[in-house]
Amino acid sequence: MALEIRDIVAGYTREVPILDGVNLKAEDGRVTVILGPNGAGKSTLLKAIYGYLTPQRGEVLHDGRSIVGLKPNDMLRQGIAYLIQGHSVFPRMTVEENLELGGWIMRGDHQRMHTALDSVYARFPRLKEKRRLLAGILSGGEQRMLEVARLTMTGPRTILLDEPSVGLMPRLVDEVYREIIKLKQERYTILIVDQNVKKSISIADYVYALALGRNRYEGPKEDFEKRLDDIVREWI
Amino acid sequence: MDFSLLLEPAILTEVLVQGLVRGAMYALMASGLSLIFGIMGVKNFSHGELFMLGTYAMFFVTVVLGWPWPLGIAFAALALFVFGMLLERTLIETLRRRAGRDWLLDAFILTIGMLVVMQNLALIIFGTERRGVTSLVDGVLVWGPVIVSYERLMVLAVASGVGLALWAFIRFSSLGKAIRAAAQDPDAAQTLGIDIRLVYTITFGIGAALAGLAGGLLISIYPAHPTVGFQPVIKSIACVILGGLGNVPGAIIAALLLGIIEAYSTFFMSAGWQNVVTAALVVIILIVRPSGLFSSSKVERA
Repeated sequence: MALEIRDIVAGYTREVPILDGVNLKAEDGRVTVILGPNGAGKSTLLKAIYGYLTPQRGEVLHDGRSIVGLKPNDMLRQGIAYLIQGHSVFPRMTVEENLELGGWIMRGDHQRMHTALDSVYARFPRLKEKRRLLAGILSGGEQRMLEVARLTMTGPRTILLDEPSVGLMPRLVDEVYREIIKLKQERYTILIVDQNVKKSISIADYVYALALGRNRYEGPKEDFEKRLDDIVREWI
Repeated sequence: MDFSLLLEPAILTEVLVQGLVRGAMYALMASGLSLIFGIMGVKNFSHGELFMLGTYAMFFVTVVLGWPWPLGIAFAALALFVFGMLLERTLIETLRRRAGRDWLLDAFILTIGMLVVMQNLALIIFGTERRGVTSLVDGVLVWGPVIVSYERLMVLAVASGVGLALWAFIRFSSLGKAIRAAAQDPDAAQTLGIDIRLVYTITFGIGAALAGLAGGLLISIYPAHPTVGFQPVIKSIACVILGGLGNVPGAIIAALLLGIIEAYSTFFMSAGWQNVVTAALVVIILIVRPSGLFSSSKVERA
């Protein structure tokens, strides 16, 4: 099991727990999708996994090891990468500098950095063409591509994606999901929080639905698709 | 005002060099202030007191111990680097952890508190006496009608060397890149394994070191005294505003300009007018360009 969350309780203040006992498993090499209405605690769950919030109760295991109490900047060393919501390239740094920062934790190892850069450029030739440009002048789709490329620089095991398609125009949305499918083919373990129900289910292996900080539903994609209308109607 | 003096090369260069020396000091102070603001969002009002501590560190090494001046400057910078990191870790970091969203306003008040405490501690420990040296380097360079003291050339050389080193560090070193990344998107930087707390601590240390270095470098002009930091900090805040908040290169250019303008205004009017000139310049430039002379965007640039 790549990532396992047991009975987690967490929130921004002690009195109001946003997550009220959530359980979740993300299996190796699979795409696990978390759905739910606004305020269900989806993004908060990712933040709690990644150490931005310290859970008041519960356990987070990655590769069987507890990662509760680790700081966000420890997580990549544990093999967990995290794409935060919204734009996150460093706009006034070059594409290559952005990628090098993706490999910050292996900065002393020039050989490894070089190999990682080469493989990223092989996969995204457009980033190679533009590697000397400032990331801020890339198009929205290219910036997303750079963010995904940056995530994979160190070869993490698990990737957390927070609303990867939000705010993008439809054509780019498809591109983003194609990238996620590629990551899946490369055997990354992927956990996605998404508002784009149809798209994210189409690439999912297993689906969780949260409501008001609790598990509302879980099951393999096929089961979920059958009951999709019922579940979504409940949210509205 | 006798503008025909402007035609005298000796006077022209004399005033220009005076202005550049002054500007170099403002630049050292302002680049530290601007760096701290650009990366942490903190406006450090106690920056002048870090300058003041630098002058005392310099006095201690060169006069009390009698060691050569390069050691004094190095010691002033190093001592303030360590002291700055301690201040950040103990006071500012604690505040950031506790106060949450509005902590920058609290930090503003905290740095004013730091100013008061440091000034008064200096008063208790060192008294009101001014402690300086007449000069660090003797001799003058004579080049035709132009005469420049080696001390001033030394100040300019050290300040430009430090400025270049700082630029290269921020631009090319991996820590420098991490600092810029943290300034542009702290959340994203953290997900890449960059320890934001450490970046902030080091940034504040660097800013403090630059102030300490400025204090040490200019001890022959600004002797150690509990309130010696007041003029430098007021002027360097003006430079930070003129250069565009958080824009370090902008602050440096503004500092050199301000130094030169002040030197000429002091020469042609009188010393009393220099603060008026600075203030007027800030007001006029803020009316014409509200985000500073060199701001390409509203956000910080390191």
